[in-house]
Amino acid sequence: MVSQKVTIKNPSGLHARPASILTQTAGKCKSDVIIVYGEKKIQAKSILNIMAAAIKSGSEIELQCSGETEEQDLKTMVELIESGLGE
Amino acid sequence: MEQIYVDKTASRGIAAAPVYLYREPDLSPDREPVSEDQAAAELEKFNGAREKVQKELEHLAQENEIFTAHLEIASDFVLKEGVEAKISGEKKNAQLALWETIEEFAAIFASMDDAYMKERGADVKDIGKRMMAELKGVKRPDLGSLKTEVIVAARDLYPSDTVKLKSEFVKGIITEEGGVTSHVSIIAKSMNIPTLVGVRGILDKLTDGGTVCMDAENGVIVIEPDEADLAEYGEKKKAYEKERAYLESLRSMPAVTKDGKRIFLCANVGNAEDIRHALAMNIDGVGLFRSELLYMDNTHFPTEEEQYQVYKEAAELIPQELTIRTLDIGGDKELPYFEFEKEENPFLGWRAIRISLDMKEMFKEQLRAILRASAYGHVRIMFPMIISPEELRAAKELVEECKRELDVEKISYDKNIETGMMIETPASVLLAEEFAKEADFFSIGTNDLTQYLLAVDRGNKKIAEKYDYFHPAVIKAIGKVIDAGHKENIKVGMCGEMAGDKKAVPVLLELGLDKFSMSAGSIDYVREQILGTGFF
Repeated sequence: MVSQKVTIKNPSGLHARPASILTQTAGKCKSDVIIVYGEKKIQAKSILNIMAAAIKSGSEIELQCSGETEEQDLKTMVELIESGLGE
Repeated sequence: MEQIYVDKTASRGIAAAPVYLYREPDLSPDREPVSEDQAAAELEKFNGAREKVQKELEHLAQENEIFTAHLEIASDFVLKEGVEAKISGEKKNAQLALWETIEEFAAIFASMDDAYMKERGADVKDIGKRMMAELKGVKRPDLGSLKTEVIVAARDLYPSDTVKLKSEFVKGIITEEGGVTSHVSIIAKSMNIPTLVGVRGILDKLTDGGTVCMDAENGVIVIEPDEADLAEYGEKKKAYEKERAYLESLRSMPAVTKDGKRIFLCANVGNAEDIRHALAMNIDGVGLFRSELLYMDNTHFPTEEEQYQVYKEAAELIPQELTIRTLDIGGDKELPYFEFEKEENPFLGWRAIRISLDMKEMFKEQLRAILRASAYGHVRIMFPMIISPEELRAAKELVEECKRELDVEKISYDKNIETGMMIETPASVLLAEEFAKEADFFSIGTNDLTQYLLAVDRGNKKIAEKYDYFHPAVIKAIGKVIDAGHKENIKVGMCGEMAGDKKAVPVLLELGLDKFSMSAGSIDYVREQILGTGFF
């Protein structure tokens, strides 16, 4: 498993639109993608889980990828979040 | 053939067309547990329903972006796993497993304190309903998908239903509940759809697709009409159209009474389409632009920019005044994306200006949007449900605050924009003299005023007869408000149902009303009445 910490920059946190972009990209990753937010572990491939976690702007999350393509997947996900998820 | 006589005509006209029975089917889950060996079949049922809904949503997503998020939720593996766990682990049938999983997610979203996230709860529920309908093999009706001419028959129609009505296909409306001032009546009138309301037991008598004739002039419904009936209704329709032609010939005349007083005839509208429709009636302005429709027919609180575009379009359409009423929500009007706390007395509760003054940021977005649009026409701001001068001042102060912001941002607006108020509470009637000193205009909302003055719920059929705007107390209140306004040299209008009732025209003229604002469908009748009235 590889992991990296990243800060959510979206002004309104992970609302429906950025959450759906995140889910779509995570869905294309071959490895398991988990978001650790405080005590919660969230499946990044589920829009319901992400939205239900109500991750706020400015909060730090940890991305964990595990699987064959974990290195590449982690890089993709970190870049996506840092680019602001389409916002 | 069977004839039914109805005494409540909500919107005039004659129609004959097949019936479209609008009924939300029973979507409650079957609660029968399943045995070990049935689980596989239940899983298959659920996955089959899920796939069908996904396909349906893929199709809808191509037309409307909203459904993209719906599609993702429907495809979510957590939802799928949740249902599957309940079927395999807890031995629940597919319907109950789906129902419970949806309820769990909807509850999570509903508990969030963010309006935008609450909206997601409604999305989840809607997807749940779609899947449930598939599982149960029932069809959910959708007024928006009508493609042929029908008469819609329903228990009642709510704002979320009526926003989908298209007058092109909906030739008539019959409801079991509701009064002539209920929401459906107001909308039907503005769209000129013949409508009869409060027709008890009618749904059991009608069959989906069976032809019905309706006379929303005299209050008659003919079920299973024969050839002779159809011919008779054809004649009636012709006669009705002849009367219409006469009224239309009067349209070019300004509304002046026989003794020479110029009366302003204005329209109540909800959107640009209503304005275009009303302009054809030769109106003197828009006396009531219901901004709440912009909030109700939406998935989120409309942003300043979204509202600005709508108000600007409206302002540009109409050369005369455009009176925009700020958000009037609560009471019987809800928002699909905002959870209102259940109240014992919603009409005496958190509604209209009370919500706006509590949710200042939201209110300011609306005020800024209205101000920005005022650069493009003759826009006026009207506050609903005011009971005290403090509220009026607080609302006006927010307008000033928005003006200062716009000044700093160098955005133009009408610096002399008028701010007025609705008179629809007994308190505002009693304090009319004070209010007249601070408001630029009054508009009497007779629907709420009558219900509050007489303590009669306008939706309650048992006491519907007591709901009467000709009651001496209502007439006296209207007279007092007009006098108070005239003493301070402000114009007094009326935008409730009474203003569109031609029987009320003589008394309102005698009391000195300056402006009548009504749904477009009533304007011709009221004009004819005004042209024929005079006090020498």
